[in-house]
Amino acid sequence: MRTATRARRHPGRGSTRTIAAIAAVGLVTACGSGGSGETSGETGAGGPDGVDDGTTLTMWTRAATQAQSEALVAAYNESHENQIELTVIPTDDYQAKVGAAAGSGELPDLFASDVVFVPNYTSSGLFTDLTDRIESLPYADALAPAHIDAGTFEGSKYVVPHTLDLSVLFYNKDLYAKAGLDPEQPPTTLAEWDQHARAIDALGDDVHGTFFGGNCGGCGVFTWWPSIWAAGEDVMNDDGTEANLASDVAQQVYDVYRGWAADDVTAPGARDETGTTWTGYFPEGNIGVMPMPSTTFGLMPDDLDFGVAPIPGPDGGESTFVGGDAIGISAASEHVDQAWNFLAWSLGDEAQIDVVAANGDVVARTDLASNKHSDADPRLVTVNELLASGRTPYSLNFGQTFNDPNGPWLTLMRDAVYGDETKLEENNEAVSSSLSS
Amino acid sequence: MEPRMKLTSHLGRTPYYVLAGGLAVIFMFPLVWSAFASVSPQAGTAQDEGFGFGNYRTLLEYDAGLWQYLWNSTYVSIATVVLTLGVSLLGGYAFARFDFPGKNVLFLLTLAILMVPYATLLIPLYVLLGNLNLSNTLIGLSLVLAMYQLPFATFMMRISFEAVPRELEESAQVDGCGTFGALRRILLPAVKPGLITVGLFAFLAAWNDFIAPLILISDSSKAPLPLAIANLRQQSMGAIDYGATEAGVVVLAVPCLALFLLLQRHYIRGFMSGALKG
Amino acid sequence: MQSQVTDRPVASPVRDRAPTRRTPWWRSRALKGIGYASPTALFVLVLFIVPLLLVGRMSASDWPLLRGDQGLNLPDNYTAVADNALFWPAVRFTLLYTVIVTVILLGLALLLALMVQEQRPGVGFFRTVFFLPSALGLASASLLFWGLYSPSIGPIGPILEWLGLADGPISFLGTSTSALWSTVFLIVWKFAGFYMLILLVGLQGIPHDVYEAARMDGASRWQTFRSITLPLLRPSIALTLILCVTGSLLAFDQFFILTKGGPDNSTVTVVQLIYREAFQRLDLGTAAAISMIVLVVLLILNIAQFLGLRRADEA
Repeated sequence: MRTATRARRHPGRGSTRTIAAIAAVGLVTACGSGGSGETSGETGAGGPDGVDDGTTLTMWTRAATQAQSEALVAAYNESHENQIELTVIPTDDYQAKVGAAAGSGELPDLFASDVVFVPNYTSSGLFTDLTDRIESLPYADALAPAHIDAGTFEGSKYVVPHTLDLSVLFYNKDLYAKAGLDPEQPPTTLAEWDQHARAIDALGDDVHGTFFGGNCGGCGVFTWWPSIWAAGEDVMNDDGTEANLASDVAQQVYDVYRGWAADDVTAPGARDETGTTWTGYFPEGNIGVMPMPSTTFGLMPDDLDFGVAPIPGPDGGESTFVGGDAIGISAASEHVDQAWNFLAWSLGDEAQIDVVAANGDVVARTDLASNKHSDADPRLVTVNELLASGRTPYSLNFGQTFNDPNGPWLTLMRDAVYGDETKLEENNEAVSSSLSS
Repeated sequence: MEPRMKLTSHLGRTPYYVLAGGLAVIFMFPLVWSAFASVSPQAGTAQDEGFGFGNYRTLLEYDAGLWQYLWNSTYVSIATVVLTLGVSLLGGYAFARFDFPGKNVLFLLTLAILMVPYATLLIPLYVLLGNLNLSNTLIGLSLVLAMYQLPFATFMMRISFEAVPRELEESAQVDGCGTFGALRRILLPAVKPGLITVGLFAFLAAWNDFIAPLILISDSSKAPLPLAIANLRQQSMGAIDYGATEAGVVVLAVPCLALFLLLQRHYIRGFMSGALKG
Repeated sequence: MQSQVTDRPVASPVRDRAPTRRTPWWRSRALKGIGYASPTALFVLVLFIVPLLLVGRMSASDWPLLRGDQGLNLPDNYTAVADNALFWPAVRFTLLYTVIVTVILLGLALLLALMVQEQRPGVGFFRTVFFLPSALGLASASLLFWGLYSPSIGPIGPILEWLGLADGPISFLGTSTSALWSTVFLIVWKFAGFYMLILLVGLQGIPHDVYEAARMDGASRWQTFRSITLPLLRPSIALTLILCVTGSLLAFDQFFILTKGGPDNSTVTVVQLIYREAFQRLDLGTAAAISMIVLVVLLILNIAQFLGLRRADEA
């Protein structure tokens, strides 16, 4: 119980939610079948549920998804013999930490990772092959397909989804009404989105049409690419070694953002926004419509009347970036069966519904898109259903190319929106050469 | 250059105090502001209305708990100070008072530690500590931090010893003290200001260091405070708890400032006694 | 503890022999010296030289962080450095930053030292206040300024607006120029007191009679400063110069926390590049190669400074 159950990003509302979720699971397991792990305890080889024999497991997660990981770990420790010691690592330094530990074989039993870094880890052999175990799960086909694909290397599967974070359009219904727009009609094309944003921006005062992280590569990937995908265009080739970010569709998307920047349709600070505070604006109630991570859904103030919608392409269509963390068992772990016990449990109905869905987070299984928590709020169903159609881009060099603030993608983004548009081709090539290096 | 000279003496007192006072305000402002920001209301933090200690409560309850982090930081800092003082006291004595083969090479190598980028050595150090069975231990972390203190500490102790008149020591040796006896009875009191300076510096560095524990410690319950605050700051994607971060800065700063004020007189003497005259 | 351990084995044979035959003094002194220096030597050897050799080995190898040593590839890592698109801009920026910081920091430190060197009411207070920021860690100070410069809670924008000096939020880190100067301000604030102290020690070491003599000769304050204070202060200035230049060339924390090298890669320092190669691109070989280059440059620079000083002293 080292990393106790208390830590919260937003004390108050959040912590009661977690506690309620844990209590709920406690009740379920107390009255239920008596825990899933005991059934196959003796086999040692580990049945489909792995082994629950009181082993202490170590696990790492990054600070950004700490709340979700902690809720799951606390509920697991409560109901199982195995105990997990969770260590939280600063988000920006997670790669450094994993890298240093990998270099000297000191990885923990379990470690979660931003799903975009997973291909690099699988190809470097950091994870244990889980193909058979994953496929033996009754709901194997329903596991977030984008995460499973990202964790598949040379035909073997190494990771399962841990926390899901989808990019979704959030819009402020009050501001829609004030601007004379229909609060039940979110934009279905990028052009409509543009009109809505401009109409709301015209309300003046402290109200702004939209917002985006203009100096944040990870934000651009997360919120701009779905518009490109929605039009059926790819951003990279299948191997993730060549960029396709100068296509006509991409150009159309950049142009809309460029227009917002030029005409000041965004809240001030978009240009300098490095991704540290970009989700803090919408909850304050002054932003009309902007794409944000689905994990912020549960953190909205109670008095904010907002809706959610898929991110549209230039002429319609919809898509989402399936982000969040995937989790695997490290190749060096000596407790694979025990660690699998946690993974299998974390994907089961109880954990998914009573912990994940109860927290207002996106479930890891498409077959649970509609559940008792999401049914209470149709907006959650909208988000959950996107999971099936969303994408997670695949590249071995993803982080250094797209997330790194000194990488080539951020240069492309900023030139396309604030700088010299004509450099697009050249910048696209720089991205390609980083991807293939 | 001209205005400077005037400021120090030519012009009367008033302009001096205006300038010094103005600079003092600029120097104090960030410190005062961070204390103020840590208790002032800020939407999206634990202190969302009115002034109060909500952000400090967030800190108290964060993860393994503030007290655990403070304890880890204290342990690492004290271990680093003890190691640094022990090694640099003997080393400084050796460099100041003895001639031995390799002396200059060793001294220059010690100073060369300053010239290697911090991040570079950490990966090999991580591997090395693993081989010594010291990975993920606070003592291993302290050894590394003490090593980084050695250039300054050794330099400082060397000049502190050099500033002590040789006659003092010689008279002690006449009294039958060996070199170690002379060190303990005669020299130790004489270089005390230097030791305090070195110790304070080692403390400040160990207390505030972030990158070494990030790489070398992999267990929340062993993390020192700066690491915990970095976690707190990045806890949710795209939203920053500024209030708690500033509260963290204050908690990090207060022991350093207090210790400095407490030791200030000795500390400045340490510098003076070294008399970095060349 | 430690002192006894190291002292005894070395000192005792000398003592044992002492009554029978007198060993040459230099020999026993030398051995004792080695004994006292041995903890330092042990630290330097195990925790510095050995890792440094490993860095040298990495710089000559294909060494991805995640997979470990893949064999020698000399000189690929070194040639790759020159081709790195960020390398030369990083070198240029680091040099620019070093020059700016050194000039401002040493100038201000000297001013502060002159201001607090004479006894007058309140001078102790000013000394303390100027030094206080130095008691903070660099990372804490950077975090503090990160809040101070932030558009959400930063106080400077509102204050300037209230004074009527600005309208709208000020972007302290938004342009390459403002990011540079905002960082310089942080560093000057953080370190001026420390360098002030070193220079103050130098100032206090100048004997009073030298000034007296100058006054007798009818020298003006300015002449005294130029022909007495500055030359006699040279060793202290040299020390601050070496510390400041080395520290600035290795700048990392402040940019890592405040700007992350942005905006538009305009504030990437050489050490940040090393960090990026190691932990973003996960390529230890290239990171180690840049580190070796930096080490060699710093060694040459410091040796040159050292020799230059010695020559000036002899002249």
